[in-house]
Amino acid sequence: MASQASQASQAFSADDDTVERGAYLARAGDCVACHSTEDGKSFAGGLAIESPFGTIYSTNITPDKEHGIGNYTEAEFAAALREGKRADGANLYPAMPYPSYARLTDDDVHALYTYFMEGVAPVADNAPETDLSFPFNQRWGITAWNWLFADADTFTPDTSADAKIERGRYLVEGLGHCGSCHTPRGLAQQEKGLDDGSDSYLSGADLNDWWAPSLRGGDGGDGRGIEGWSAPEIAEYLKTGRNVHATVGGEMTSVVAHSTSHLTDEDLTGIALYLKSLPANPAGEKATTSDQRREASEKTDAHLTAAKDLSEGERLYLDNCSACHLNDGKGAERVFPAIDGNSLVNADNPTGLIHTILAGATPPATPAIPAQLPMPGFGWRLSDDEVATLATFVRGAWGNDGDAVTADQVDKVRKTLKPSALNRAPDANGSLNHEDRDTQ
Amino acid sequence: MSSRIKNRQRRDFLRGSLTMIPAITLGSGVTLTAQAAEPAPNLSDYQPAFFSDEEWSFLLAACDRLIPGESEGKGPGALDTNVPVFIDRQMDSPYGHAERWYMQGPFVLDGSPDLGFQYPYTPRDVYQKGIAMTQAYCQQQYGKRFETLDNDTRDTVLKALEANDIDFASLGESQKLEASEFFASLLENTKEGYLADPIHGGNKNMAAWKMVGFPGARASYRDWVDQHNVDYPLGPVSLTGERG
Repeated sequence: MASQASQASQAFSADDDTVERGAYLARAGDCVACHSTEDGKSFAGGLAIESPFGTIYSTNITPDKEHGIGNYTEAEFAAALREGKRADGANLYPAMPYPSYARLTDDDVHALYTYFMEGVAPVADNAPETDLSFPFNQRWGITAWNWLFADADTFTPDTSADAKIERGRYLVEGLGHCGSCHTPRGLAQQEKGLDDGSDSYLSGADLNDWWAPSLRGGDGGDGRGIEGWSAPEIAEYLKTGRNVHATVGGEMTSVVAHSTSHLTDEDLTGIALYLKSLPANPAGEKATTSDQRREASEKTDAHLTAAKDLSEGERLYLDNCSACHLNDGKGAERVFPAIDGNSLVNADNPTGLIHTILAGATPPATPAIPAQLPMPGFGWRLSDDEVATLATFVRGAWGNDGDAVTADQVDKVRKTLKPSALNRAPDANGSLNHEDRDTQ
Repeated sequence: MSSRIKNRQRRDFLRGSLTMIPAITLGSGVTLTAQAAEPAPNLSDYQPAFFSDEEWSFLLAACDRLIPGESEGKGPGALDTNVPVFIDRQMDSPYGHAERWYMQGPFVLDGSPDLGFQYPYTPRDVYQKGIAMTQAYCQQQYGKRFETLDNDTRDTVLKALEANDIDFASLGESQKLEASEFFASLLENTKEGYLADPIHGGNKNMAAWKMVGFPGARASYRDWVDQHNVDYPLGPVSLTGERG
């Protein structure tokens, strides 16, 4: 293996800059998130990705010649990346975001190829084979899918537009593949729009029951979510996982940890400016104005502060939540996220909120903010009924307008929880919980 | 009897301060009793993990005299609030096993109090030996076990323990554990079980907190810093999430 690696590096005449640029681009593409398991070696594959068609296992993309992609030529690598074609001609499953990576420039593909051949250690491990049931095991069928839906061209910057925004557009549409989660999918699981030519592009989507909110940050909507964030606030969120409005949760936690927190401020600013340039989802008929929301927020705040004639949901909030998220539902900037106006709290599907209440959440450690102050889980302390009552309250309190939550919905989420240090009852017998800390 | 009067006065004081806080009023008369995952056990159903049946009978009788129940005092008593359960559970904790104490000699009994606990005994040992010697004393003195004595006699025995008037050494104690040491542990643990969070097994239904008007583990009272001369309207909440 060592001799192979050194041969490879000789063949590429050690272009450190290109390797480094490729490593940066691999960060931007968050390749490591899918092509590694939690405990496995980087890029050795094997992560089980749940799809509507079954479990898809990511592949080993280290330069190992037998188990990885060590025998790929640059042209084969480019075809895998941009067209979803394996070196043997078979189609990759579109869990690989090649419809987005199709935007990549030749230059960037070259840098990525150089990095994966020279900068990544080969790992001689076989990732598990994906074995979907019929008809989804017929990879040839993807050809038609690709013809219909994976039609993006290589990115060509619009020279008349702001260069920073164009850089952001390239990253968002291409390597960032933000649309994979944030663009709603159609009947064939295709993203409804791969670029801003479509109003559906980045307009928000349900991802395995978690709401991936709209990233269309411009004007014309109801002013909530990212529409109310400034470009620097968006960049800060991507860099640190936090800003004055929110703390990252769910799948996005890993994206911030592995990808966006490693990007340059210039690129993050470009991404933020691009998102702010997308016209917002139009406000629905029932949309509230910011004045109405402010008034409602003040009312809830005053009622909780007086603490008289409380509903059970209000009492649960005071007893469990308000110490951190406060009576105004605004929390504390960069430490405790705001619940008032929070996109996860208001999502049509309450699963993400229920999961967070039951299991807690840990923000990512980022280079800029390494500390991870977690929210504890309340699953050990609150019954399904209580969680439903509490979730219903926070979804209707302040300026929020989410629907009620039922105990059945809570029960369903509770059954999916894995035991963790954050959702376990404290040991009242006085253990110092060293074990808990080790397993977090 | 003077100590009983003092206790009565103390409880009256605590209750007095409670009367200034109106009974907990909740919207539309809903009772907000939490559905705790494991409700506190009835004392009569509880199977002690550490104490033997005989030791358990002593503990119940002694705790009942240290904090008597409604019939004698005006608040809930140690038995109403599962204090013996708290003590039994503590015996199985790092505290009961003296896990974090320095337990090697030398044991300097006549040293400064700053030197701390000076016996080779864990709290488990202190209870077992203390109870055995108190029972031996009661047999010697009254021909009865402690828990079969009438209340006044039990108080006399407890006071004798507190004043160190019972000589443990003459009852066979080899390491010079004194009656007052045992009594101090018992009283301290009883108070702890009465007032600690119900998550530790005592303070059943947060009854002691309700009596003194303590609002429990609500984590933050920041919103009350600016509310002057307003009665605090909320009942207590436990670490278990139990609400009262």
